[in-house]
Amino acid sequence: MAAALLCMVLGTLSAFLVVRTDLPYKRSLRTLMVLPYAIPSFFSAIAWIQLLGPQGYLTRFFVTLFGAGTAPWNIYSPGGIVFVLTAHYFVLVFITVAGALERMDASLEEAARASGATTYRIMKEITLPLVMPAIFAGGLLAFIGSIANFGIPALLGMRARFFVLTTSIYYALAIPDFALATALSGMLVVVALMFLTIQLWLQKGEGKYTVIGGKSVHPAELKLHSLKTPMLVCAIIFGFFISLVPMLSMFLTAVLKYWGAALTPGSFTFEHFLYIVNLEAAKRALFNSVVLAALAATVTMFVGTIISYMHVKARLRGSRLLDFLATIPYAVPHTVIAIAVILAWSRPPVSLYGTFWIILVAYLAVYIPFAVRTTNATLQQIHNSLEEAARVSGATFGQRLRHVILPLSRPGMTAGWILVFMPALRELTISILLYAHGTETIGVVVFNLQDAGYREVAAALACIVIVILIFGNFLLKKLTGGVSGF
Amino acid sequence: MDKIKIVNLKKSYGQGAAVDNVNLTVRDKEFFSLLGPSGCGKSTTLRCVAGLEEPTAGDIYIAEALVNSSAENLNVPTEKRPIGMVFQNYAVWPHMTVFENVAYPLKIKKVSKTLTRQRVADALDTVGLERLADRYPSQLSGGEQQRVALARALIKEPEVLLLDEPLSNLDAKLREHMRFELKELQRRAGIPILYVTHDQAEALAMSDRLAVMNAGRIVQVGTPMEIYARPADCFVADFIGLMNFIPCRVVAHDSETATVELTNGCQLKIADRHGLEGECVVAVRPEDITLSRTGAVECRIEVRNYLGNLIDYKISAGTQIIRVQTANTAVYEEGAGLTFTIERASLLPSFEARQSRA
Repeated sequence: MAAALLCMVLGTLSAFLVVRTDLPYKRSLRTLMVLPYAIPSFFSAIAWIQLLGPQGYLTRFFVTLFGAGTAPWNIYSPGGIVFVLTAHYFVLVFITVAGALERMDASLEEAARASGATTYRIMKEITLPLVMPAIFAGGLLAFIGSIANFGIPALLGMRARFFVLTTSIYYALAIPDFALATALSGMLVVVALMFLTIQLWLQKGEGKYTVIGGKSVHPAELKLHSLKTPMLVCAIIFGFFISLVPMLSMFLTAVLKYWGAALTPGSFTFEHFLYIVNLEAAKRALFNSVVLAALAATVTMFVGTIISYMHVKARLRGSRLLDFLATIPYAVPHTVIAIAVILAWSRPPVSLYGTFWIILVAYLAVYIPFAVRTTNATLQQIHNSLEEAARVSGATFGQRLRHVILPLSRPGMTAGWILVFMPALRELTISILLYAHGTETIGVVVFNLQDAGYREVAAALACIVIVILIFGNFLLKKLTGGVSGF
Repeated sequence: MDKIKIVNLKKSYGQGAAVDNVNLTVRDKEFFSLLGPSGCGKSTTLRCVAGLEEPTAGDIYIAEALVNSSAENLNVPTEKRPIGMVFQNYAVWPHMTVFENVAYPLKIKKVSKTLTRQRVADALDTVGLERLADRYPSQLSGGEQQRVALARALIKEPEVLLLDEPLSNLDAKLREHMRFELKELQRRAGIPILYVTHDQAEALAMSDRLAVMNAGRIVQVGTPMEIYARPADCFVADFIGLMNFIPCRVVAHDSETATVELTNGCQLKIADRHGLEGECVVAVRPEDITLSRTGAVECRIEVRNYLGNLIDYKISAGTQIIRVQTANTAVYEEGAGLTFTIERASLLPSFEARQSRA
C-alpha cells in the first residue's frame, strides 16, 4: 500500500514534468523513466542490494563521504521492499498519467486561463482533478502489481523473516503444506480481484470525464523559465538513479572479482561469465527458458489468433465468453496460477508435477491474455471489407487467410510473439514454484545463485538476460513503429 | 433479362427487421440505386445480394440463377457468385501493388500469367491508372484507390456490379466528377449496377431507376424524374430535394382534381387521382412558386439569400413559412409585401407519415 501511494506521487510528478513542460530532452527522459520496468523486478532487487546492501556501492560511498560507522538504512527490511517496489512499479502510474495528460483537450485549460486563473490554480483546480482517475487507475495497477510480486519481497524480506502473501505461499510449498499454500492463494486472489474490480469500476466512471480524449489538440507546454535547469537536473538525476544506476551496478558486479572489491584495474575479470558458460545448471536453464518462452509464445499466439478470429471476425456465438475466459488469468497473481496448476495437473491421470511441461502449462495460462489482446487488436485493425473484397474476388476461406489476413497481421503477430517471449524468458514467480532438478529456468538459477551468495555469477547471468531483453525491446519497437516497447 | 431479382427479402437482427419484405429487379445494363437515410436497410439489402449477409427469408436471383432461397435452404457463398463489388472504404489491400490488387480475382481463377497481364492492363486502362500499376495503395489518393477497387471489381467480368456508397469518402469536387465518370464507365462496360447511397443528388444524377427506402421497406420505385415530380408520400417528398409542406383540408374533388383550403382560407385546385379526403398536405417545390405583385396569396419576404445562379427566399404567409427559389433576376427586398402563386404541387396524405420518421 505504501509502495502504491509513493508510486502515485512519483509517477504523477514525473509524468507531468515529461509531458507538460518545455523541459529539453523529453523523449530520452521518457525512455529513461520507463526503462526499469523492462527488466524483471527481481533483477531490480538484486541491483539495489548491490547498491544499498551492507557492502553496497552507494552504502560505502555514503559511509566514506560522511565518515559514519554504518549506513543509516537497511535494505533487508519492509522499508527496503517498499523502496524497490516503488522504483519498479511507479512506471505504471507514469504511463497512465502521461497518457491522460497527452489526451487532454487543451481548450479546457485555455478556458480556465481566459476566465483569469493563474497557472498554479489551473493546475490545481482543472488539470489535477481531470487526471485524478488516471492517477488512481495507475495507483491501483501498481498496488496489484506490488501485492502479486514475488521476487522483491523474497530477496529482501525472507532474510529478515518478513513475509508477505507471495513469499508465504513459496514457504508453505517448501514445507510442503498444500493446504496452507492454497488458503493463502485464496486470500491473494480475493485481494487482487477486489482491487481489479475497483479499477474496472473506476474506468467505467471515466465516462463522465469524456472530455479527455477525442480531439487531438496538443496541450500547451508549461514554461518553466528559471526553474528549467534545476528541474532538468532533478529529472535527469531521478531517471538516472532509477534506471541506469541499477543496471550499471549489475554490470559492475558481473565484471568484478568479488562484490565489494576496490575499483582498480586489477580487480576486473570475465571469470564469472566463463563460470556461467561452464555451469551445467546455467546452460540447462538458458536452454529451458528459451525453449519454454518460444513454445509459450508460439502456442499462445496460435490459440490467441483462433480465439480472436472467432471473436473479432466471425463473431461466433459464445466467442465473447471464450474471449472473456481467456482474459481472466490476467487478474490472477502468478503465484496463484502456479498453485492452481499444481492442484490441477499433479494427480493422475495426467501428472505433470516436477516436469518441464507443468511450467509450460502455467506459462500458457499466464500469457494467453497477452496473446489474445494483441491478436484482437491486430485483427480489429484489419477492416472487415478487406476480407469481404477477397470473398467477392472469389477467394475461399483458406485463400483469404493466406493472401489477405495473415500477410496484413504479420507485424502485429510478430510483435505479439515477442511480447510473450520476453517476459516468459525472464520469468521467476511461476518457475520457482514449479521447477524441479533439471527444469530450472534462468530466473530460478539467478534467484538461487543470489540467494546462495554467488552474487557475481548471478549478476553475470542477469547481464546476459538484460542484453537479450534490451535487444528484444528494440526489435519490438522497430516492428510496431514505436507503439510497443520502450 | 433481369440481372438481379429480389423476392420478399427479409433480414432481421434480434427482434427488429433491418430489411422488411423488399422486392425489386435490376434489368440488364441498368443503373439502379437504393436510396435512403442511414439505417434504412439499403446496405443490408446489397450485402444480402453479395452473400455477405444471410437473409432471414426471401429469394435472390442473379442473372436468373437462384443464389439464395430460404425455402430451399440455399445460400451460395459470396465467392461463388458472379458479382463485382466496390466498398465504401475501397478495401484495396495495402500489402499488394495496384497490379496485384487488380489481378487477384484472376489469380484465384488460375488464369495464365500472360492473359492476366493483358487483362489487368486493359482494366487499368479503362479506369485511367495504367501508369500506376507498380504503386502501393498508400501512395495513391482516395480517388485513385477508388479506381483500383473499380478495376478489381470489373476484371472478373461479373454479371452485376454492386457499389456500396463508393463516393462518400471523396471530397465534393471529385465526387461530382466521379458521377459522370462512373456512368460513362457503366455504359462502356455495359454492366448493370446496383448502387447504394444516402445522397439523393447522386442517386438522381446517375440512376436509370431508383428505389427510395425507409425503415427497411421500399417506399417508391421509379425513374429520377418520376420520383422528383410525383413523390409517393411525405417521406419521399422530404428526402428528395427541397419541399414545402403546407397543411390543408380537402373541401371538394372530382375525378382528376381536388379543391383544398389552406389554413388562411385560400382555396387551391390540385391534381389528385387518389381521392384523398379530410386533412392533407400540399407539397410544393421551392422552384414551383412564383413571386409577383399580382398573384393569388399575400406574403412577406423574411430572408433573402443570394446563391449566384438563383435566389433563395424565406417568405411568410400567415403563420406558414415557405422556401421559394427564383431565377437570379427576380430581386425583391427583405420585408417587402408581395403575393405568390403555386404553379405545381402534389397533394399528399396527412402529416403522420412525415412525423413517424422522426
